[in-house]
Amino acid sequence: MAEVHIIGQIIGGRSFPSKSIFCRWGIWAGSGWKLIEGLKEGQTQVDSPVLDDISFWCHPIDVHFAVKSLQGWPKLHLQVYHLDEFGRIEIFGYGFIHIPSSPGVHEISCLTWRPAAASLLQKLRRFFLGGGPYLRNPDLVLSSAERYRLRTESMGEVYVELGVILRNFQTFGVEV
Amino acid sequence: MEESFVVSITGQIESCEFSRHDELYCKYCFMFGSDWVVTSGLEEGISQVSRKTNDERSLVIWNLPLDISLKSTNPYGWPRLVVCVYGLDAFGNDVVRGYGMCHVPLRLGSHFRRLPMFVPVSASQLQKFTAWLTGRRPEYIDPRILGLGEGRETTRVSSEGYTNVSFNVMRKNMSQLGYQVGPSTEARTVVPMERITSMGVLNGEMANMSLH
Repeated sequence: MAEVHIIGQIIGGRSFPSKSIFCRWGIWAGSGWKLIEGLKEGQTQVDSPVLDDISFWCHPIDVHFAVKSLQGWPKLHLQVYHLDEFGRIEIFGYGFIHIPSSPGVHEISCLTWRPAAASLLQKLRRFFLGGGPYLRNPDLVLSSAERYRLRTESMGEVYVELGVILRNFQTFGVEV
Repeated sequence: MEESFVVSITGQIESCEFSRHDELYCKYCFMFGSDWVVTSGLEEGISQVSRKTNDERSLVIWNLPLDISLKSTNPYGWPRLVVCVYGLDAFGNDVVRGYGMCHVPLRLGSHFRRLPMFVPVSASQLQKFTAWLTGRRPEYIDPRILGLGEGRETTRVSSEGYTNVSFNVMRKNMSQLGYQVGPSTEARTVVPMERITSMGVLNGEMANMSLH
């Protein structure tokens, strides 16, 4: 069976409305992909940087998949949250990236979005109180089927560095 | 053990940049998965206590060598470097000034990494006050938690500086075992120019990237 290793880091995020942010992440893969070792989801620390405009998470990713079919190539999905001074969390962005198919190291920036406040009242609430609409089913981030119903606003970007190591793809005649 | 590959790492922890602190030293350790074995070199070390340069760079230079060879049968648990920077406070206590972490580069060759360094901060105002009173700041009991993907979700940190590390990476036997670590000659990755410049602060290595 062919194998895929994904080794890297969620480096940090920037250009979000506030710097005190953290990220929940997960790796989704199709049914032909079996997770052998490693964590496929997690949550980073909350960073409030004093130096730079990037909030650093430096969160390691290390997963090992056994692969039976190329369908369902893994995706990394990210949810960025803001932790405010009262300990409340608020969604700051959803985003996903496909794990790069070519072996080697990739520096990727994942652009994010979140549902927009629909009415003026919601906008005011979000401005003064925080909170606001979020996705009840975050799997929507990974599919293109039902996006057309959403109205969203554009948020910041998340920097990810991923190294991809493939094994035995050539023996099965797969070119990457 | 013909089935194993070797990763050999040389390099140095060059220096660090902390605008607010002086007289710093660092501890480093390599972390790796259970399939990995150290064949030569040190997996932990402590640097000297160094004072800042007097010029505008205001670097704390350590020039601390890293030299380790590891062998493994499985890339899972790829080695990562955890760096902890400590300094002395006004009362002569050791206080942590920053933690940082990075993977050993997967790519062959020479690499330069600028690790963001962060310190845990107190979760509540009361803890902040007692920390100020007793001079004992929050710190990790075991900094190895940084290299793990779990257990960090409840921590609040504040990033305050950078540590500069250079690596040279050599590998042996990986392609013989069927691993493809680098891109094939045909595959091409096109990265938009502005992405690279916006990430340039993160990765000194990218400055050497050629753009066409």
